[in-house]
Amino acid sequence: MTTTEGARRRPWARRAAAKAGPLPWLEAGSGLTDRERALLTAVHGLVGDDGLRAGELGRATYRRDASFLNADPLGVALPWTVEQTAAVVRACRDHGVPFTPRAAGTGLAGGATPTGEGGVRPLVVSVARMDRLRELDVTNRRAWVEPGLVNARLGRAAAVHGLRFAPDPASQIAATLGGNVSTNAGGIHVLTYGVMSQHVLAVELMDADGVVHLLDGTAPELAGIDLRGVSVGGEGTLGIVTGACLRLLPAPPSVGTMLAGFPSLRQAAAMVGDLVTSDRLPDAVELMDARAVGLVEGYANAGYPIDAAAVLLIEFEGLPHAVAAGIDTAEALAQANGATSVTRAQDAAERARIWKGRKAVAGAIAKRAPDFFLQDVVVPRSRLGEMLDAVVAIGERERLEILNVVHAGDGNLHPFVLFDRREQGVLDRVFAAGHDIVTTALDLDGTVTGEHGVGIEKRDFLSQVFSEDDLAVQRAVREAIEPSGLANPDKVLPSTVGCLEARMVPEGAWV
Amino acid sequence: MTATTGELTTAEQVREAIMDARRDVTPVEIRSGGSVLDRLPTGDHPVLSVAGMTGVVAHAAEDLTVTVRAGTPLTELSQVLADAGQECPIEPTGGAGSTVGGRIATALAGPRQLGAGRVRDWLLRIRFVTGAGQIATAGGVTVKDVTGYDLCRLMTGSWGTLGVITEVTLKLRPLARHRAWYATDRPRHDLDALLYRPSASITTRERTHVLLEGHPDDAAEQAALAALVPADPPTLPVTARASVDPARLVGLVEECETLGLVWAAQDGVGVCHLDGDGDRLDAARTAAEKRGGALLVLDPHLQRPAFGSRGSSPIDERVRRTLDPDAVLAPWRWTR
Ligand SMILES: Cc1cc2nc3c(=O)[nH]c(=O)nc-3n(C[C@H](O)[C@H](O)[C@H](O)COP(=O)(O)OP(=O)(O)OC[C@H]3O[C@@H](n4cnc5c(N)ncnc54)[C@H](O)[C@@H]3O)c2cc1C
Repeated sequence: MTTTEGARRRPWARRAAAKAGPLPWLEAGSGLTDRERALLTAVHGLVGDDGLRAGELGRATYRRDASFLNADPLGVALPWTVEQTAAVVRACRDHGVPFTPRAAGTGLAGGATPTGEGGVRPLVVSVARMDRLRELDVTNRRAWVEPGLVNARLGRAAAVHGLRFAPDPASQIAATLGGNVSTNAGGIHVLTYGVMSQHVLAVELMDADGVVHLLDGTAPELAGIDLRGVSVGGEGTLGIVTGACLRLLPAPPSVGTMLAGFPSLRQAAAMVGDLVTSDRLPDAVELMDARAVGLVEGYANAGYPIDAAAVLLIEFEGLPHAVAAGIDTAEALAQANGATSVTRAQDAAERARIWKGRKAVAGAIAKRAPDFFLQDVVVPRSRLGEMLDAVVAIGERERLEILNVVHAGDGNLHPFVLFDRREQGVLDRVFAAGHDIVTTALDLDGTVTGEHGVGIEKRDFLSQVFSEDDLAVQRAVREAIEPSGLANPDKVLPSTVGCLEARMVPEGAWV
Repeated sequence: MTATTGELTTAEQVREAIMDARRDVTPVEIRSGGSVLDRLPTGDHPVLSVAGMTGVVAHAAEDLTVTVRAGTPLTELSQVLADAGQECPIEPTGGAGSTVGGRIATALAGPRQLGAGRVRDWLLRIRFVTGAGQIATAGGVTVKDVTGYDLCRLMTGSWGTLGVITEVTLKLRPLARHRAWYATDRPRHDLDALLYRPSASITTRERTHVLLEGHPDDAAEQAALAALVPADPPTLPVTARASVDPARLVGLVEECETLGLVWAAQDGVGVCHLDGDGDRLDAARTAAEKRGGALLVLDPHLQRPAFGSRGSSPIDERVRRTLDPDAVLAPWRWTR
C-alpha cells in the first residue's frame, strides 16, 4: 500500500473563488451554532459559491437517497477535485463535524441520508463532480475511474473496444462507480460474474485527515494484509472512495436468451434449482411474478405471457457451443417443470425486447402507484419457492400490492411494495410487510440484504444476523480503518448510543 | 518448531490456546497441515495447528455452497465436490497437502486465477478466532450478501496474522464438461484477440501454455483458431514467486531471464514462479519491488526471508493491533 496526500488536480477545475456576495444562510437568525457557522465559512472558502449548498432549498434535495429515510444536512459540498475534497474533509475534522459521502443518491438503504448522532447535522460531501474516466487500459483490460463516473458511461466507453464492465445494477444509468464500490453493488449478471467486489482491483480511500490510501495496488499478491476487499461495501463509513481500478472483460462472442412462462411460482422456483445444478450455469436468471408481468406488459409491450404465474428470463453468454447447449438444457428443463411457454430470442432485437420488460419495472411501477418500497433480501436458492409464497401471504395479510422481481439465480428477492402515501395508515402496513419479509428471509437461513446495503434501514437487523462478538469485531475493524468516527457515523452497525435522527417517513406522507 | 499446542478440534479450543498465548506473552505460529504456511521458516515458536479440524460440515449441492472445516485437505474437498459434478476452483498453488484454511489464509494465485478469479471471490462465510480471542463469523451462506463489513475479504490472505480461520463456506460451480491443456509457440499477446477467456495462460521460456475449459466443440474451435496443440500442463517452479501488476509482468520476466532464473509466468495475473539460487532470487526480489510488487520465497532452506520488505501502512497496523492486541499471532510474519 502506498500513501499520497490528495495527489491529483483537475486543470480546468473552477478554483474556489470565495465571492463576496451575501450568504443568507450564514447570517444571524439562521439557527446555526457557532461551530456550524465556522465550518460552513471554511468550506465556502475552499469550494466557493458554486461548490456549497447550505440554503434551505439547496439542502432539500440532499435530504435522502432513493429510500424514504431523510434528514436535514448542515450543507452540501460539491468539490471538483480530490484536493478540494481533502480540504473539505480536513475542515470537517478541524471543526469536529461528521460528513456523509454521497454520489448519485440512488442508494436504497439510507446510506447517503445525512444523519448524525445526538442531533449533530453532518456535511454531505458529494463526489458527483469527480466523474472522469482517468484511464482505459485496453491491453490490460482495466479502467481507473473517479468515483462520480456513472456506471453505464464506463460500459459505453469499454464497449468501443470490445470490452464490458460486468456489474450492471438496474440503476446503472444513474448510479456511479464510487457508489457501486461503496455498496458492493450487484446486478443482473452476478450469477457467474459476481458482485462488484470481484471487479475491483484497487481502491483509493481518503481518510478523515484527507490522506488518500491506495488499497492495495494492482499486484495480485502482497507482502502484507489485503485491504482492497474490506474497503468495498464500506457505505461511506470507512472514508471516501476517491478512485478505483476496475476489471474489464471481453464482450461475449455469443449470447442466448430465453423467456419461459410457468403456471405457478413453485414450478418456476423448481426450474431455477434445476438450472443452477445443471452442468452449465446460466449467466442470468431473473424471475418476475404475474403482477410484475401484467404491469410491465401494459407499459412496455415486451411480449411476456400474461397468463403465466411467473416468468423466467434466462441468459447464457460465452462461446457459441456452450451457449447453445445451455439454452437447449434450459428449454428441456423448462418443459420438465411444466412451462406453458418458451421463447428463444432469435436475434439481438428479440433479446432486447425480452430484456425491455425486465428493465421497465421501475417505470411501469411509477405509472401504477405514486410510491413504492423496495425490499432486498436473499435466501439460499433451495428456499426460493418458500420465500416467494411467504411474500404473497404477507401482501395478502397487509392488504398491499407486492410485485416480485427476483435475481432468482442468486436467491435475491426484490419485492416492490406499492402504495400511496396519502392513504391514511398505509405506511404502518408497508413497514410491517417489509419487516416480515426480512424476518422470513432470516428464518429461511437467508440474510437481510443482498446488494442494496445496510445503511440505516437494515442496521438494527444486524443483531439478528450476528452475535455480539461478531459485531464487536466488525466495529473494531471499522474503527481501525476510520478512527475519527466522522465518516458517515450512525450507519451499517447497530447504534450503541443515541437515537436515530432520520425520519422513516416520506415527506408529504399522511401520518 | 518446538512444542505444538496439541490437537485442536473446536473453535473454543483455539480460543483457549490464543488466550494462553496472550497470558504467557508467547506468540504462536499458525499451521494447518501442509499448506504454503508450512513452507515458511518457523523459528523457535510454539505452533498452533488446526490440522485436526477436518471434515465437510455441509455440502448444499442445490445451493452451490459447501461448508468445510479449516484443516480439511483440499484434495478431500475436491473429491466430495467432484462426486456431485461440482468444484471450487481454488486448487493448491503447487504441492499436495494444502488445506482449505491454509489456502484462504495465504490466498496465492492458483493456476486458474485468470479465468476463475481470486481465492477471495469464492469465500462466502468465514468463522475465525481473533488474536484477542473473540470467536467471530462474517458473511453468510447465500451467494450474495452485503450484511456488515466484508471481513471474509479481510481474512483472505491474512497469513495467520489477524485470526485463526476455523471454518469457511465456499461458493461452487459445475465442473466443466471438457478441460485440456494446449501449447503454442506464439507469444501470449497474440492470443488475447483470439481466445475468449481461457482458464489459464502460462508462459515459459519455450512456449505459451493455455488451459481451455467448457464445451469440447468450443475448445476445439478455439484451439484451431489460435493454432494450439494439445500438451501436458506446464511444470511450475516452486522455490519462489514474484507478484507484480500484470502490465509489468513482461518486464519482470525479461529481467528474470537475464538473471538466469527458471521461470513460468501467469499471464494476465501478474505472478511469476521462479527456481534459482538465493543470490539470483535476491535480484529478482529487487526487480519485483522496483515494479511495485513483491517476491515470496517458499523454500525455507534458502536462508532468505520469505517476504520482502513492504512498508507497513498505518491502516494495516491499526487493523492488526485491533484484532491481535498482544501480537500473539505470528507477529513476525512479514519480516522473516
Ligand atoms: C430503480 C433502482 C434500481 C436499483 N437496482 C439495483 C441493482 O440492481 N443492484 C444494486 O446493487 N443496487 C441497485 N440499486 C441501488 C443503488 O443504485 C446502488 O446501491 C448504487 O450502488 C448506489 O450508487 P450511488 O452512486 O447512487 O450511491 P449513493 O446512493 O450516493 O451512495 C450509496 C452509499 O455509498 C456511500 N458512498 C457513495 N459514494 C461514495 C464514495 N465515493 N466514497 C465513500 N462512500 C460513498 C454513501 O454514503 C452511501 O452510503 C437500485 C436503485 C434504484 C433506485
